[in-house]
Amino acid sequence: MSQEEPEVTLQRKAKGKRPYYFSDPDVDRLLSMVMALTGELSVTRDRLDTLERVAKAKGLFSSEDIEQYALSDADMEARAARHQTIFKEVTRIIVGEIEDLDAKEDSDYSAVVSQVENDG
Amino acid sequence: MSNAYKEQQVHDALPATSHDELARQHFVRSFKEHLVTDLHPGLKTVYEKRAKGKFVAEHQREPETIQEVGQVMKQDSHYQAWSSLLRTSQEMMWSSAQIPVQRAIQELATQAAQSPAVGSLRLNPDLQIPAYHTAVDIHCQPGGYHTEYIENDVAQGAIYDRAVYIYAMGQMGVNNADMGDSTVAWLKQQHPEFKPTRILDMGCAVGHSTLPYVSGFEDAEVHAIDVAAPMLRYAHARASSMGLPVHFSQQNAETIDFEDNSFDLVVSHILLHETSSAAIKNIIRECHRVLKPGGMMLHVETPPYEGMEPFDTFLFDWDSENNNEPFWRKSHLLDLEALAKDSGFQNHKPLQIMVPSAFQETKRTNTFQGGDFGGGGVWFVYGCQK
Repeated sequence: MSQEEPEVTLQRKAKGKRPYYFSDPDVDRLLSMVMALTGELSVTRDRLDTLERVAKAKGLFSSEDIEQYALSDADMEARAARHQTIFKEVTRIIVGEIEDLDAKEDSDYSAVVSQVENDG
Repeated sequence: MSNAYKEQQVHDALPATSHDELARQHFVRSFKEHLVTDLHPGLKTVYEKRAKGKFVAEHQREPETIQEVGQVMKQDSHYQAWSSLLRTSQEMMWSSAQIPVQRAIQELATQAAQSPAVGSLRLNPDLQIPAYHTAVDIHCQPGGYHTEYIENDVAQGAIYDRAVYIYAMGQMGVNNADMGDSTVAWLKQQHPEFKPTRILDMGCAVGHSTLPYVSGFEDAEVHAIDVAAPMLRYAHARASSMGLPVHFSQQNAETIDFEDNSFDLVVSHILLHETSSAAIKNIIRECHRVLKPGGMMLHVETPPYEGMEPFDTFLFDWDSENNNEPFWRKSHLLDLEALAKDSGFQNHKPLQIMVPSAFQETKRTNTFQGGDFGGGGVWFVYGCQK
């Protein structure tokens, strides 16, 4: 994009009502997001694949070097910790509900709305 | 036939892609292949083993129509998952083709405007885009064929060229030319004496089916029309980059500005199903008008529903309700013989044949089915001699 030209945004949604297939359309929505994520995962894997091929072509290292590389226990511990961080992020919504229960928090949100709306 | 993976042939009009943009497009192609080869066969299984029986139990007979098969299939979880994924794959296909074009939209327009003067380009800014193209975006391409974002815009054409390749999973050849190639090959084999000197391709889009007529009939003057300016600008740049002269003009196939009796051959490729009941009559009548006596009209399409099993018809009909192809169903149920006769073709019986695919270098799914119309290995050709 050259400096003087305004940025152009293309229409991303096709005109026409989008059909949904499952009895709950949220399943369609979730499936669509899962496929988008799968796509991005595939893009990342392809990039890693290219990285290994370029490294080999440039004489840096090969895919075999990656296979044969032995992680130390400390390396694996650091990785395992990173895995746990990912899990905590992904399952946040599920764990959050339990945290509410443990905190015995009043789940009646509308009561809170009512309170702040009517406290003056 | 081999299993060689083939990527689209690079030409000067095609937008450049970054590593990840290309990887995203490759994912969609693989996603579609997965749907066709791994999930599609299960549809027949669930129909036979659990869906059809529900209809039989209620009606004491098997389903006989698209609607009756749909009554039970639309309730089946496998069909729901397949449909939901197929629709998603179509959306991801357009999205993956849009990303590099949006980034380079100005450069692509400038580059196309500077393409060498091979053939010609004649636009008509006053042409009204027909309602059957503006009511919904056909096959879910956001903005359809006609939307223009900037001056001299080619975006929709650039997106379409790439998306067709991904859609067909390479099964239409490295230049998406299989429909044209197959028709030219059939003509040369069946009518070796036929030497057209003036050819018209209607609804040409980016000219991917047009170019085989230029290479196939070297002495012919080839014209191509479409309603959408971004398609035509891109088509002209694309053909020019390949050094193939085509005279592109912005016209509606229902009312062409060419003279009576002026073409030896009039063709179209998957155009008819994207029109309407009124338009298709106008188009066939125009074919008759512009053809010279003895000239040939040939429309390449997917096969009519007649004679198909109700279950196969239901799946083949998927695009009607699920991929913004509002005329798909009706166009596959037309009385094509009467259509030709009523449009002036009264000297010869219309042709309704299956023509083998010219492109056989990649693996094929060998079926016509929702999401895979390039996979049949054959094309349906409807035509008539004047």
